[in-house]
Amino acid sequence: MALDGGLLVRHRVPFSNEDSRFKRGFNRIRITPMAVFWTLITFILVIPILLFLSVAFSPRLMSQGHQWFTLASFKPVFSGAYGIALLHSLIIGVIAAVGAMIIALSMAWLVLRTNSPARILWNTTIFALFLAPSYLIALGWQRLFEQRGVLEIMGLHVEPIRNLLYGPVGITMVLMVKGIPFAYLVIANAMRGLGEEFEQAVRVHGGNRLAAFKVMASLLMPSLFSAMAIVFAEAISDFGVASTLSSVGHFSVATYQLYQGINSIPVNFPVSAATSITLLSLVIMAILAQNRALRGRSFRTLSGRTRPVTITKLSFLGKFSTSTYIVVLLMITLGIPVFGAISASMLDGLGSLLSHYTINFSNYSRVLHSRFLRNPLIYSTEMSLITATLAVGLAAIASKVLTSARNTRSKKFVDFFLLAAVALPGIVFAIGYIFTYNLRFINDLGLHIYGTSFLLALAYTANALPSTSRSLVGNMGQIQESMMDAARVHGSGAARAWIDVTMPLIARPLLIAWLLTFSGTLLELPVSELLYPPGSPPVAVGIELSLAGFDYGGGTAIEVLSILWALVVVGIAFFLFNRFAPPGWKRLGNQR
Amino acid sequence: MTHNKHVNAYRVEIRGAAKHYGTLKALNNFDLTIEPGTFTVLLGPSGSGKSTLIRSIAGIERLDSGSIRFGDREVANNGFHMAPEKRDLAMVFQDYALWPHMTAFENVEYAIKRRNLDSIEATRRVNEALERVGLSAKGPNYPFQLSGGEQQRVALARAIVGRPSFLLFDEPLSNLDADLRERLRVEIATLTREIGATACYITHDQSEAFALADQIGVLRAGELQQIASPEEIYRHPANRFVAAFTGISGSFLGTVTEANGKKVEVAIGKRRIECRTSADLKVGDSVEVLIRPSATSLSDHRSNSLPAIVLDVAYRGRGYEHVVECEFGVISSVFATESTSRGSKVDIYIDPHNCLAFPSEKRVALEAAIAEFAPSTN
Repeated sequence: MALDGGLLVRHRVPFSNEDSRFKRGFNRIRITPMAVFWTLITFILVIPILLFLSVAFSPRLMSQGHQWFTLASFKPVFSGAYGIALLHSLIIGVIAAVGAMIIALSMAWLVLRTNSPARILWNTTIFALFLAPSYLIALGWQRLFEQRGVLEIMGLHVEPIRNLLYGPVGITMVLMVKGIPFAYLVIANAMRGLGEEFEQAVRVHGGNRLAAFKVMASLLMPSLFSAMAIVFAEAISDFGVASTLSSVGHFSVATYQLYQGINSIPVNFPVSAATSITLLSLVIMAILAQNRALRGRSFRTLSGRTRPVTITKLSFLGKFSTSTYIVVLLMITLGIPVFGAISASMLDGLGSLLSHYTINFSNYSRVLHSRFLRNPLIYSTEMSLITATLAVGLAAIASKVLTSARNTRSKKFVDFFLLAAVALPGIVFAIGYIFTYNLRFINDLGLHIYGTSFLLALAYTANALPSTSRSLVGNMGQIQESMMDAARVHGSGAARAWIDVTMPLIARPLLIAWLLTFSGTLLELPVSELLYPPGSPPVAVGIELSLAGFDYGGGTAIEVLSILWALVVVGIAFFLFNRFAPPGWKRLGNQR
Repeated sequence: MTHNKHVNAYRVEIRGAAKHYGTLKALNNFDLTIEPGTFTVLLGPSGSGKSTLIRSIAGIERLDSGSIRFGDREVANNGFHMAPEKRDLAMVFQDYALWPHMTAFENVEYAIKRRNLDSIEATRRVNEALERVGLSAKGPNYPFQLSGGEQQRVALARAIVGRPSFLLFDEPLSNLDADLRERLRVEIATLTREIGATACYITHDQSEAFALADQIGVLRAGELQQIASPEEIYRHPANRFVAAFTGISGSFLGTVTEANGKKVEVAIGKRRIECRTSADLKVGDSVEVLIRPSATSLSDHRSNSLPAIVLDVAYRGRGYEHVVECEFGVISSVFATESTSRGSKVDIYIDPHNCLAFPSEKRVALEAAIAEFAPSTN
């Protein structure tokens, strides 16, 4: 099997010498796994993105206007409501990026370089923050601080905090919280590779602690810029906060403006496409700015000679103050939203005009017994199982192409589209799907898939594919090609060699990628909101519908049960892996 | 365990093989024949195309043009490429390429699956192969629990367990220390000859090549410079590159003063040295004289000797190796059973038999340029 093959690969069979010329003409054509991969990539990633974005420049191309080429669609983007929303997104994106980077840097130092007692709580928090979508964090805060919310029922006066929460401060805070795990992982990875020798070199050559700190900060610069670029991209493309705090607080951001635009009649696809391109450009500019800031400088610090660092032993006061800082941060990032969600889910009658509320599990009982509340969880579970399996399968192939030693055209192509798709906000993806799969010529081709679970699964997969592929690239890149070569030379075909050699070597990363995609899809909002089939709302839409009907207790109960269900699936998957995977598979990645 | 010569070793023929990476020619119209059951070593520096060649033979790389034939089977021919798993060969890789999720036993067992043996026979053969490489007790161990030498032994067992007709070795000893390298070299030589397979081995180490090979092919920039027995390569190198790459201890520039067939006398400054040559040299030709390590000795001889000063001396167990400087350059590996201290004045005797004269590179380049621009006689 040729990895760099086209859609259809000509397969030649061995021939004897006598009739070789004759037989060479009879090459049979077969469909290879790579052909299936490229077909799927084309239909779920390339066509929806390109068709939708092209409408911004050429409305007539897809029967959305009269002009073949115009920039008029961009005019509304930079004026009026769209312009203000874009400016808001830009400002809160920058603040969230800088804030998340500073907090992540401090946490990376406390966790990796000190003996602060509370640091052991942080890794669990990071994993939980990764799993929790921004709208769930925002909803947790909302349930606590809203009018007749949990804290007001408890008799507390929270109006000043509420006013802050339902505006730029609250939105920026939640986006910053959501950005912290991304920034932390980038910075912590860099800090792990930064051995003590650099600091020692400064000190033995006469530099004081401040000089050593400056050198360390310079060496960490790539990760700090990367962290800011990632958080900025995540913040300006976020839809969860836009659909919760932003919509309630009437503080518009670009993604919510896009959502409103797509819900207006008639839909102005050219302006939506122009807004999407502008949003995409901002993300790309952030990445370019990061590259420009670091151009021409080498920050390669990791080598076989990197020495392990010495942990700074803090004094009692140091331990106390750093632990307090970590605990406060945990409370803000996770504690308060979790408390908000759990307390709201246990308050019977929350959201109604009752004057008496009781604490019980009736909301959970309703969810488990009501078809309307339970079905979204079942539907989302089914969709997540399909999506995670499909996305991880495709991501494994994509990461194999990306880590190939040869710089082929297919590698460059996959690299470009996956990078572009990472920068593409989920809401833009969803609009692209609405646009493309509603086009007359698509319907004329017999593809009547708009409004079906099939299209939703494809959109989920396309949305998850870029990040899932990127998460596997590192592990795939570590596999020496000679191991696959050895399997081929000793008698295995390409598929067999992949199953026998590559899959076991990346079994654990594949499992983690599958679980992250499963959990992410289970609680996914923007694609669900715009593409769910009528009558089959996924979990995120189910929560929104309950909240829109002022069933705050039911909505938060679904929310809590969904998260618990995701954790149960994670637990079961790891249990099965540890129980049944062959010993060699489990050993990889563990300490010797 | 006894291995009889049970495999059907076949002739391997490569004709007109070419492979490009962008503008780089890794293989350039390459021809090679490996006789059945012989051990051929391809020797060359980095970038000479030896890895590309062995990977193309294995089917891991696809040739741009040319053909490869195993006996009467064509495995590659312009456009046609037989997949590696269908070529029925085995290979030992430079980085061992052991699968870390499998034990040593499982790694070896993997290579025998294609033989479709029953499990008892398969287990017996795996145990036999592991025993043959001295690792019968290490079967349950994972690769990370083995030393570098043991890992390479497992790779060797994996290669021989299926009793392949053709064995490939991709610089298998380059990651090992000197002592281990020597021991494994002997094992490779014995095992391969015991099973009677045709073998192709690539290396950049000339001592390894001379120790292992029935025939040696010297590669440079994707082209075969010479293929012959080790003795022939050493005694009669085809050109300056082959001579230099197969071991010299020094070289001088000079002018031919007397030419007598394969014997020439070369003036190096005011000194005259007798040499051998395979080129057609005339009196007055500029030449480069290459001196094999075996050609030099510290001596009182007055003929064919050069005065020099000892720069360095190193104890080598069976005697001493000296580095000396004469007025025309430095000569290394000058052997003597007794040590001569640094700074001493000595005479270096040069054995004409192991002293080779080649047209100097400048002259070769000039002749090539003249040949290119000369008007055609056709």
